[in-house]
Amino acid sequence: MEQLTTIGLNHYLTLSAILLGFGLFAVMTRKNAIVVLMGVELILNAANINFLAFSKYNGGMEGVMFALFVIVIAAAEAAIALAIVINIFKIFKSVDVSSIDSMKE
Amino acid sequence: MHSLIQLSIVVLLLPLLSFVILIFFNRRLPRRGDFIGVGILGTAFGISAYIFWSVIVQTYDPAFRVAWDFTWIDLGNVPGVGPLQIRMGVVIDNLTSIMLAMVTLISLLVHLYSTGYMAGDKNYGRYFAFLGIFTFSMLGIVLSDNLFSIYIFWELVGLSSYLLIGFFFEKDSAADAQKKAFLANRVGDIGMWLGILILYSQFHTFSFEQIYANLAAGKFALSNGWLTAAGILLFMGCVGKSAQFPLHIWLPDAMEGPTPVSALIHAATMVAAGVYFVARIFVMLTPDALHVIAFVGACTAFMAATIAITQNDIKRVLAYSTVSQLGYMVLGLGVGAYSASLFHLVTHAFFKACLFLGSGAIIHAMHHEQDMRWMGALWKKMPWTFATFTLATLALAGLPLTSGFMSKDAILAGAIGFAQVEGGGIYYLIPALGFFSAMLTAFYMGRQIWLVFFGQSRTHLKPADNHHQAHHAHDSHAAHGDAHHGAHEVHEVSWNMRAPLVILAALSVFAVYSPDPLDGAKGWFMKMIPTPATVVGEANPQIGARVAGSVAPQLAGVVRTTEVASVPVVAEHGVPAAGHGESKAGHVYSDPRQAEMVHAGHAAHFTAIYISSIMVLIGICMAFVVYVFKIIDPEKTANAIRPLYLFSLNKWYWDEIYEATFIKGSMVLARMLSWFDTNIVDGIVNGVATLVRKFAFANDSFDRHVVDGMVNFTAFTVNTTGAVLRKLQTGKVQTYVVMLMLVLFGYFVFYFTRLIY
Repeated sequence: MEQLTTIGLNHYLTLSAILLGFGLFAVMTRKNAIVVLMGVELILNAANINFLAFSKYNGGMEGVMFALFVIVIAAAEAAIALAIVINIFKIFKSVDVSSIDSMKE
Repeated sequence: MHSLIQLSIVVLLLPLLSFVILIFFNRRLPRRGDFIGVGILGTAFGISAYIFWSVIVQTYDPAFRVAWDFTWIDLGNVPGVGPLQIRMGVVIDNLTSIMLAMVTLISLLVHLYSTGYMAGDKNYGRYFAFLGIFTFSMLGIVLSDNLFSIYIFWELVGLSSYLLIGFFFEKDSAADAQKKAFLANRVGDIGMWLGILILYSQFHTFSFEQIYANLAAGKFALSNGWLTAAGILLFMGCVGKSAQFPLHIWLPDAMEGPTPVSALIHAATMVAAGVYFVARIFVMLTPDALHVIAFVGACTAFMAATIAITQNDIKRVLAYSTVSQLGYMVLGLGVGAYSASLFHLVTHAFFKACLFLGSGAIIHAMHHEQDMRWMGALWKKMPWTFATFTLATLALAGLPLTSGFMSKDAILAGAIGFAQVEGGGIYYLIPALGFFSAMLTAFYMGRQIWLVFFGQSRTHLKPADNHHQAHHAHDSHAAHGDAHHGAHEVHEVSWNMRAPLVILAALSVFAVYSPDPLDGAKGWFMKMIPTPATVVGEANPQIGARVAGSVAPQLAGVVRTTEVASVPVVAEHGVPAAGHGESKAGHVYSDPRQAEMVHAGHAAHFTAIYISSIMVLIGICMAFVVYVFKIIDPEKTANAIRPLYLFSLNKWYWDEIYEATFIKGSMVLARMLSWFDTNIVDGIVNGVATLVRKFAFANDSFDRHVVDGMVNFTAFTVNTTGAVLRKLQTGKVQTYVVMLMLVLFGYFVFYFTRLIY
């Protein structure tokens, strides 16, 4: 029972893995580009949880610093990715990633 | 540049101008342009006469010589040869100026004569063009100052001779004759070229003057035998061109050409070019080479004379007579009678040209009948021709008061002197053959005169079919063909054919050359053309020593005995020598052998006159006995000595001998080579070709199956793989993400599987 009542490293890692799974699911299955981006954000945050969890149980500040970097980069990434999505929309009149396949063959 | 040089170059180029104008424009000119040929030759003769006048009459110096030359082709430094410069030049000395005047005069007369003789020929204009190029080439030989340019002009006269012999080229016999002449000349010219190369290899110059200077300085590095070889090889050019034994066979056949051409080329000038050339190289001929030359000349003179006595064609008699007289000239050079030989060259040129032009007049008047057997009794009908022909005949036979007498006797005297100096024995054969030929000459010329001009007219005796053929042969004169042979009106020829005869006959009289009818040496000619001092004799210590030491010991013995005596002899005979020429008084030869010969030749002068006069009288008497008084019937005599008669009639069977040896031989060789070619060479070639084909087929199939297979297989593989892999590239981002995940998953599976085991 202690396993369930006391929040330990495994809980963090499990949460992170679930979050990664949702993220990957979103990235692989959603048609809307915005939703795909959201899936990416989930993946990044899953990584962040890992960083922070390992940081907490390892005792250093490296994981925290990494998590901060990831948040900053995720912000920048979101800005650039949304700009790309807007441009895709301008050209294809759609944000459906499954219909954007002009790179085929 | 000396003004005479400039004039001589003008003389040289004028006939070339005539050739160029006539060959291109003769059809557009009135009278086919013959007046251009005659006019240009007239001008050339005028200038030559001026040169002759200023050199011979005004200067009157035996040593007169002006020369000019320029670099014609500079080949720079040729590998293996060294610096190679080919120079061209002109030299004028007494001999050149006499030859210039002689050649242009005879050419002018022949041009003039041809306006009558060739009238109506369809190639009339071209004929004059050919005469022009011939005259140009001949003048080139005369004026050349080096071996190279003389060789060029030598070949050019050969070409013009070829063109003119075959002028009636529709006739097979003329076409054959021209080829024969050309080939026979080639044989000689190859020898001449080799001789030139021997000299060039030593001295790196073609110039006569420099070659002789080098020889005199003893710079000839090879053995004396090579020098003799060079002399004999150069003499081979003369053997070909001057129709000497054994290359004489072409000259009689060359009579297929128009008769004026025979007069100009094959009697007076071109055939004399050989003699002129030997005279130019005279000073470098070693005693051995001179012996060869003397014997060749003597054989030629004798052989041709024996053939001439049985020939029936009027021109062939004269042709063999020409060969015989050229033999005399060559003999004269061989025995060292240089002046006499060249004197004979000039006198012979005039009287033989006269004889040929006379025979041309007869042939023309007889409507192209050349066989003497069907002539006769022409003297009344053709008085001018008869008179000039007879005068020239006397000169040829060598009767006193004619030019031929002086020159021939000078040669024979030289031959006697030569035989004495050489110490008798076999060397007496040379004067003996000379004298015997003189007798034969008188005989056959007496026969010719009688058959042509006297007796009964025999035109009607000619077999009809034969006659018909003769007319067929002359298509250009088919107009005469309709007349019956008996009805031919024989008439004297017109003035333009008569005038040359008269001029040439006048030049056959002794007074033109010498005030003393018995001694040509007193005349201007032999004073102006003294024998040049040899550069290879005893005077040249290096070569002389070799002569004495190795080549001719017995000759050296003779020379040594005379050596002591020769200096006083020359001094003593400074008297006759001075008597022979005031201006060359005391012409002392540094070579004792040569001095001895010249002296002995002078001493033998009267002996020669007596013997030759007796021989000539015998010859004429024989002709009278046989043909005039008919004491001996020629036909019975011929039957009595039939083998000899046939031997002479068939020209000593030389044509047959050459046919059996060289012609058959080359045919057999050709057939052998042809067999070799078809079977062996072709076999090799075909075998190689078959092999190559086989190999090519194998190669082809290898190429097609293996190489192409590999290439195609690669392409096929890539194509197939591409077709599969292409499916993977969907262009959709999410597919790629899935694949990424799958790979990642695969990696983890792989990695953890490894970890576990």
